[in-house]
Amino acid sequence: MKILFFTGKGGVGKSTMSAAAAWQLSQKGRVLIISLDPAHNLGDVFNLTLNDSKKRFSRTLDLKEINLQKLAKEYLQREINVLTDTYKYLQTLNLDNYFSVLKYSPGIEEYALLTSIEETIHNETGYDYIVFDTPPTGLTLRFLALPRVTITWIDRLIQIRQKILEKRYTIQKIRGGTEEEKKAREITLEYDERDDDVLNRLQKLRANYESLTTILEGRDCAIALVFNPDILSLRESERLIEGLKDLHLPLRLLINNKVTTDTMSMANDVERRLQAFSNSTPIMRVTLSPHVRNGTDGAHLYNIDEDIASELLKQLQ
Amino acid sequence: MHYMHRENMAALTVVEMEELENIFALLLLGSFVGFPAPPTFLAVELLPFMEKELQMLNKRAEDCTDMLAEMCGTLGID
Repeated sequence: MKILFFTGKGGVGKSTMSAAAAWQLSQKGRVLIISLDPAHNLGDVFNLTLNDSKKRFSRTLDLKEINLQKLAKEYLQREINVLTDTYKYLQTLNLDNYFSVLKYSPGIEEYALLTSIEETIHNETGYDYIVFDTPPTGLTLRFLALPRVTITWIDRLIQIRQKILEKRYTIQKIRGGTEEEKKAREITLEYDERDDDVLNRLQKLRANYESLTTILEGRDCAIALVFNPDILSLRESERLIEGLKDLHLPLRLLINNKVTTDTMSMANDVERRLQAFSNSTPIMRVTLSPHVRNGTDGAHLYNIDEDIASELLKQLQ
Repeated sequence: MHYMHRENMAALTVVEMEELENIFALLLLGSFVGFPAPPTFLAVELLPFMEKELQMLNKRAEDCTDMLAEMCGTLGID
């Protein structure tokens, strides 16, 4: 299974390019395309109303739009349930609903986004290609960075936790004593690594993120960067390339979208600069479609002349 | 060995462990007191199992106005 991400500045045509790629790939295998952008317009490209359940477009192409808010809510609800379960005594005082304030924790949306990508990769194994249409640069970089940042944190926390357990073990050994004495102590401390809920949870999380990072950095993942022939798009693309490099993520294709005869010289200039900046990642050019420009009703916006799919597959070999 | 003796011997390690637990909780839930925090969801993810550490954090906060007494207690000075 190959995983493709389409990134870029807002409005450069990520949705259109990812839709085009998905459509072309669906001639070769089974494809699922998912929009992660909170400002969804994948549905507009395919002339359909989409939601967070899969919709069949053709025999080999399924579409889906992720509802970020709903996802964040579901995730927190799960956590809140565990919390209220652990602190059951609060229910008698009717204080348990105060945990619901967690809904507003910052950073939850990125996490929900990442979780949904992870679940998709693990559950949708029936597809040959999964195409992700990502949100604009800032959010995309943040959630792509999340696994690595998190692993760093988890490693530190695991270290401290293991130290705590070591101390607990020592204490338990020194105290020793008979069973009655042990019972007399109010709290029993878990000192075995297998008994410690916190450590177990940490290690499980770590394994999760490790496998996700391996997939994202691996041979079967490709990131395509979409840009336009203008200076703002160039600047943001440079930042994005830099960010992807830092994260060791595989940028495999640059797509210069919306090129017209008027913008040709700028297009050449931007392409040259980005090519130099990105260690000569291959570039392809997509001309501004007359359907997009004139707003033809019912036009197949996903059906473009340029062959993005073959170019991407060539890079994934 | 007598029960009390053993408790005495363990005392210093207990202090050490409590400090570590305090640090652990502080790192994880530091955003409550303005520390740079790890990804929020990590805190949320572990919160259900952190009762003891939270109590420790609370105790530390209560005792911090009287560090001298705290130190004397640790060193066993009556």
